[in-house]
Amino acid sequence: MSLLQISEPGGGAARRAVHRRAAGIDLGTTNSLVATAVGGEVRTLADADGAHLLPSAVHYGAAGVLAVGAAAKARAAADPGNVVVSAKRALGKSLGELQTGGNFRPYRFDAGKGNAAPAFVTAAGPRDPVEVSAAILRALARRCREETGEELAGAVITVPAYFNDAQRQQTRHAAELAGIEVLRLLNEPTAAAVAYGLDRGEHGNIIVFDLGGGTFDVSLLSLQKGVFEVLATGGDTALGGDDFDQAVADWLIAQSGAETVAAPDWPALLQVANRAREQLSDADQAEVAWRDWRGTLDAAQFTEIVAALVRRTILSCRRVMRDAGMDTGAIDNVLLVGGATRMPVIRGAVTKFFGREPLTDIDPDRVVAMGAGIQAEVLIGNRSTGDFLLLDVNPLSLGIETMGELVEKIIRRNTAIPVAKSQEFTTFRDGQTAMALHVVQGERELVSECRSLARFTLGGIPPMVAGAAKVKVTFQVDADGLLSVSAEEASTGSKAEVQVKPSFGLDSGQIEQMLRDSRNHAREDMRARALGEARLDATRLMDAIKSAIEEDGAILSAAEQDGIDQALAELRKALAEEDPTRIEELTRELNRTSEAFAARRMDLAVGAALRGESIDTLGCEAE
Amino acid sequence: MLAIADNFFAQFALPAGFEIDSGKLNARYRELQAQVHPDRFAAAGEARRLQAIQLSSYLNEAYETLRSPLRRAGYLLRLQGIDVEQVAQSDLAPELLFEQMELRESLAELPENESAFDQLDELNRKAANRLAERQGQFVQALAGNQLEEARKLFHELQFLHKFQMEIHKKEESLESVADF
Repeated sequence: MSLLQISEPGGGAARRAVHRRAAGIDLGTTNSLVATAVGGEVRTLADADGAHLLPSAVHYGAAGVLAVGAAAKARAAADPGNVVVSAKRALGKSLGELQTGGNFRPYRFDAGKGNAAPAFVTAAGPRDPVEVSAAILRALARRCREETGEELAGAVITVPAYFNDAQRQQTRHAAELAGIEVLRLLNEPTAAAVAYGLDRGEHGNIIVFDLGGGTFDVSLLSLQKGVFEVLATGGDTALGGDDFDQAVADWLIAQSGAETVAAPDWPALLQVANRAREQLSDADQAEVAWRDWRGTLDAAQFTEIVAALVRRTILSCRRVMRDAGMDTGAIDNVLLVGGATRMPVIRGAVTKFFGREPLTDIDPDRVVAMGAGIQAEVLIGNRSTGDFLLLDVNPLSLGIETMGELVEKIIRRNTAIPVAKSQEFTTFRDGQTAMALHVVQGERELVSECRSLARFTLGGIPPMVAGAAKVKVTFQVDADGLLSVSAEEASTGSKAEVQVKPSFGLDSGQIEQMLRDSRNHAREDMRARALGEARLDATRLMDAIKSAIEEDGAILSAAEQDGIDQALAELRKALAEEDPTRIEELTRELNRTSEAFAARRMDLAVGAALRGESIDTLGCEAE
Repeated sequence: MLAIADNFFAQFALPAGFEIDSGKLNARYRELQAQVHPDRFAAAGEARRLQAIQLSSYLNEAYETLRSPLRRAGYLLRLQGIDVEQVAQSDLAPELLFEQMELRESLAELPENESAFDQLDELNRKAANRLAERQGQFVQALAGNQLEEARKLFHELQFLHKFQMEIHKKEESLESVADF
């Protein structure tokens, strides 16, 4: 089909030889999206039904994944426990955190083997949040492939700015498991600011208030001449629209006089709560029914029910302003991101705190994926790097345990990344030849109140009196926000290094096993995928040839016309059958038959270009 | 790709001194990051990308050092060959210790409710005034090449800065219980 593609006149020199398909993926708690360049513009992609949002729900059966997205979500009430929703909230969590956190009804958890991440117990066996996320990512990658007809070469995946190292690592693992090359993990508010700011050539101080299904971020950015500098970021990775639903659900239980709600009934109850909450975004009251009880929930009651949650979001805003040393008066614009910001109670609180009306003319659901898509275009080399630059920060302080279980902070929160910082430590016992290092993340001063990221030991220290050895510990955070730590003893040069992995993370053997499993599983739908791709390629070529004949049929000889017609007819017949190899063969045959015609058309087109007329591209490149 | 200057000030084409044009610093920082940031080299070879991370990290370190008044002061002393990491008891005048104790006590005595906010603001102002005063003295000491004096003032600035952080912490803990 190559000969049928004619590049734009004049654009040839500037255009790169190879266009690689890149996408931005917003892997959300409730919904996920994929955005890619279509016709030179980054847009979110819809499924066959026109829905851009893919519900982040995966339905498991004995055979494995039964459905992902809306179909899975629809079965949440009927098959509770086997439809995993909001898996993002479980990323990076320990078994204890999952079991005590009230937001994981109706699931049961399994400790996982050895050092593995805790898993949801499903009909398909234990499935940890990384695997569930991978299933969602796979579905999005497939959507992208089906829409563009190209393999995904790389993706920018967004994470809440306030995600810790464990959560970032697991997001990366999920992408690896789904076979997606990660170009970058990008903070969600930063992505939103890019999509919003680039569009309008905006400059000034912007607040991005991002309340999603399960996470909350607030970031303060300074925009100038295409440079997006994050000044401070804050938030709460366990606060989102889900919590508002929970609050309404608790209210429903109290109102209806129900004594207890069995775990399997929670999905249905949460759906009632969610509907009521969404109705209240447009109306003053909502009719609710739970079991035999019927009643109304009005806006004032709702405001009261969720007051504590709203307050938490505003506390984070205060902290960000304080960290940046800025007054709310210096804010030029407030951008709302995430479906949960549609709630009037949130809009009201934000307006009151910042003293200005937030911008509401952008789609809060899609803006993050779009920003990620734009960044993906740059990182993969399809778009000039001169357009813009993102300067992001490290959201949580990183430190090391010292004597007395105290934390010595090495890299403070809101430090610009990438960053490398070193600090010297010494031995505290005479003749000490090894030093144990414990890396932690968090703002508190006691080790027990921070998150433990890694432990490692530096050996080979020559025996000296206490305090004489000098151990230089270096923390490095890359542009993804991922940490690596190294330690070096000065006199001997003895070294130890770790790429920090969450202590309950997967070891490489487990990742391999998971990759093997997913490959086995993938084989089932590989044929279906091959068939889809072959059909797509064939249809595109047929369309291209048909329209070429319509335009320039005059330059065809009768024999050529017959040959092409015959090849077209055969291919059309093969399309109705299910054999991808046959379709591919016939597609190649049609391409061969039309080669001479294509070459002649090309000459014509070049001639036209020299005369300065524009020509349509004949191929099927979307852009 | 980026020429490393003799010191952080020179890196941003700024005169070495405590008073600094923060607008220029920020503009120059963005300009230089635009040249070295790893995102500019996403498609380049491994060695080039590694270099980009190093240079970008270096610029971030330089920028954050100059942006913070306290770190800037410490850096100016370091350029004069003075080690500010080590603090001896004799570096700290008894008056300074008394002042610190007094400030800390007033912070500790604040009630755990919203009536504390006004007093907290008052303490914040006090600390800020003292910081400004000491900074002025620091600039003078540095200009007069009285490095010993400058070093002592730097440690006083450190104390006051730490105190401000504690005020912020207190503010945060009050906000989490109070109505607003």
